[in-house]
Amino acid sequence: MTEKMKLKERLFYEVVVRDRHGKILERITTLSRSYVSAWNQCLYVLNRHTSCPIVDTGGVSRSVLYSSSVLRANAGVGEIDHGIRVGKGTTPITINDYALEAPCGEGMGIDQFLHQAMAASSPAVVAPDCSFWIRRVLVNNSGSTISGIREIGCYVMTKYSPRYCALGYRDVLPGSVSVPDGGSITVTYTLKVTA
Amino acid sequence: MKIPELWYSVVVKDRHGKVIFRERRRAHSFLKQWNQFIWFFHFGGTISPKITTGAPTRLDSHDNNFRMNAGEGDASLGIVIGTDNTPVAIDDYAMGAQIAEGFGTGQMHHLVNTFGAPVISPPSCGYSISRIIVNNSGGLITVRESGIYHQHSYRYGPVAYNFYFYFSCGVRDVFTTPQDVPDGGSITVNYTLQVTE
Repeated sequence: MTEKMKLKERLFYEVVVRDRHGKILERITTLSRSYVSAWNQCLYVLNRHTSCPIVDTGGVSRSVLYSSSVLRANAGVGEIDHGIRVGKGTTPITINDYALEAPCGEGMGIDQFLHQAMAASSPAVVAPDCSFWIRRVLVNNSGSTISGIREIGCYVMTKYSPRYCALGYRDVLPGSVSVPDGGSITVTYTLKVTA
Repeated sequence: MKIPELWYSVVVKDRHGKVIFRERRRAHSFLKQWNQFIWFFHFGGTISPKITTGAPTRLDSHDNNFRMNAGEGDASLGIVIGTDNTPVAIDDYAMGAQIAEGFGTGQMHHLVNTFGAPVISPPSCGYSISRIIVNNSGGLITVRESGIYHQHSYRYGPVAYNFYFYFSCGVRDVFTTPQDVPDGGSITVNYTLQVTE
């Protein structure tokens, strides 16, 4: 017997672009299509209490052992090896994606953002859902508009030291987003389960 | 579209190994505790998910958190089953009426929890968690629910490595059809967690 029911764990994202005065220029909110293989492999490592080869964000397979660092995404200011990232890649998502295609770097140079600390809400229950969000603000102080932002995603830690990270989820935006100099882009992912 | 999906299958066999019932369906079942653990791993902070007694209990960082690999005879961890058919609610924190480990009336013997390693087969990546639970109680037992308990670590006192280990329920499902497991028979529950394009 097979009975299909509606999906019960969902990921949503919101992208908000602001100018230097905080005025909202653009907002995109939609259902994410983005978990990739490393996310499930991390859960497997934790659930089975074992190790598993997982491709890191550099494309290298690393043996990942269960630890309290697995899945960590709470990056601080300027940390870009884990946490939410944005980029210019346009290639559709595949299950084997291991990084953003063309991630924007940290800094104040061309096509670079100042990555602020990750933030998160606590899980909240509004029956039949339980959800929380994670968020990052990226500020453009590069001196010019950064255009062509097409992808977002979240890197998660797989090992604390030496530091390895993997891609947890990635999305390609429906259209290009431009962030003016002095402005910012805020990416929020909401992870929800429904009974 | 890639969204995590949880599937379960149930196979019931008689004492001779003959399959007498089989059911496979998409699970209905992630609970509040599942997302609280994901949050804790993903971001960290202070949170007190309910353990299987219903008591909110602080979750502390430990390598054992989210562990489900129960050994034989351990019904406190891994896949568990029960006799209750109360519909699943997001606030559920345990089986409605868990079947205890043993060979007495209403009890079943839990074999080791096994795992299938993640398989990437585009467009999907999935792994499985399975357990065979045997009825040697001397009578028929009707199973109506299944779920997964995982480890929950709580640090006490001033010493950094003093931990109590509890269990939280991350998944619960009520079967479409109650499963009668005859004496000498078994029930195999398999959960598959996968992401799919």
